[in-house]
Amino acid sequence: MPLIRRRVCVLSAVSALVAVALACPASSPAATGRASGGLSLSDTGRLHLTSHHSFTLNEAGSASGTLSGTIYIHLNVVSTNRVTAEVNLYPRGGSVTGYASASYRSSGGVATFTGTMSVTRGTGRYEHAHGSGLSFTGTIERVNDAITVHVSGGMTT
Amino acid sequence: MPGRLAISVLCAALVVAVAPAGAGAVTERASLQASFSPDRLGTPTTIGFGFHLATSEGAAPPPLTSMDLRMPAGMNYTTTTLGLAICQPAVLLAHGLAGCPPNSRLGYGSAVVEVPFGTGDGHEIPEIQAVSGPSPNGNLVVLFYANGETPVYAQLDFSGEVLPDSGAFGSQLSTSVPLVPSVPGGPDVSIVNVQATIGPSHLTYYKHVHGRLVPFHPRGVAVPERCPRGGFPFAAEFTFQDGTSASAQTTVPCPPHRR
Repeated sequence: MPLIRRRVCVLSAVSALVAVALACPASSPAATGRASGGLSLSDTGRLHLTSHHSFTLNEAGSASGTLSGTIYIHLNVVSTNRVTAEVNLYPRGGSVTGYASASYRSSGGVATFTGTMSVTRGTGRYEHAHGSGLSFTGTIERVNDAITVHVSGGMTT
Repeated sequence: MPGRLAISVLCAALVVAVAPAGAGAVTERASLQASFSPDRLGTPTTIGFGFHLATSEGAAPPPLTSMDLRMPAGMNYTTTTLGLAICQPAVLLAHGLAGCPPNSRLGYGSAVVEVPFGTGDGHEIPEIQAVSGPSPNGNLVVLFYANGETPVYAQLDFSGEVLPDSGAFGSQLSTSVPLVPSVPGGPDVSIVNVQATIGPSHLTYYKHVHGRLVPFHPRGVAVPERCPRGGFPFAAEFTFQDGTSASAQTTVPCPPHRR
């Protein structure tokens, strides 16, 4: 899957200043200090299995898109057709944490999951990170448990 | 593959349940056996299961139309690499196992079938294959296939889907069994006994590594990490062509603690 690299501004009267800052690559949310605003997230992460314990796959990799950086996912297979996940993304200057729940389908060598994610907290320049209803989709290569995940939707920073 | 004598010995130790039926009616008896190999908590395993069906008089049961095999909660499907490829049912029917990718194999087994005009001894179909089939609902689909040619022409071809379950059971293999004529245009055969495995035992998969095809053993579904009191429960429900049913339960004993 090609990497999706684009920055999308959410223009609103309240966050116009932040939106202007987001429009410039050199002016990431960090440039706005700790002011909160809207961010339309569209990130793709590619992860590999680092360990597994019980029903949980622990994965690490890199994310690219609106927020680029190291990404960690703890994917918990709660049933034959349901997964939950804790997602930790570490873009420059902070971190974003979210929790996801998704349906899980396996067919041959690839399993897919589709659901939603809530952003519950952040640190650093993303300390006000919050959002819900973000799209959370991805695939698992069953032969090596490598995950490709795509997260998109609106969040506040 | 166990012979019929071995099967009989195993069946002697099984928990047997008798389906309720009206007074005077012929009832069907079902017995079930299950095993893990290896039998270690949290370890990928090969699930062995078998069942024996008969009437209360010991005759062959009516033809089987469905079977639900319920498996214990906590079975871990997270890291299994079974079923990395899919075998299309039409290909399986046309070409047998040879038409299926090696990475679609899930297990194997044997069956004993009886025909209404038979001697009562049954006819063994020595080789049943289980492969991974297309999954329209995202669940693991198991295709069972066997081709008995003599003395009874019985091509067994049926599929089961692994569905979520609840309570003491975490999943169930829900299987529809089509009616199989003993001879073209003849009466349907009765399935008397099935022994099968789902798991990596005796299976070899292949993967590409640096352009080379490298064999490997797939990882099986893992035994639960905790064993409930009394062992791991298995249960099965059988439905027959005449509308009657039978059920059976068994347990896999908790493995000894590892030092």
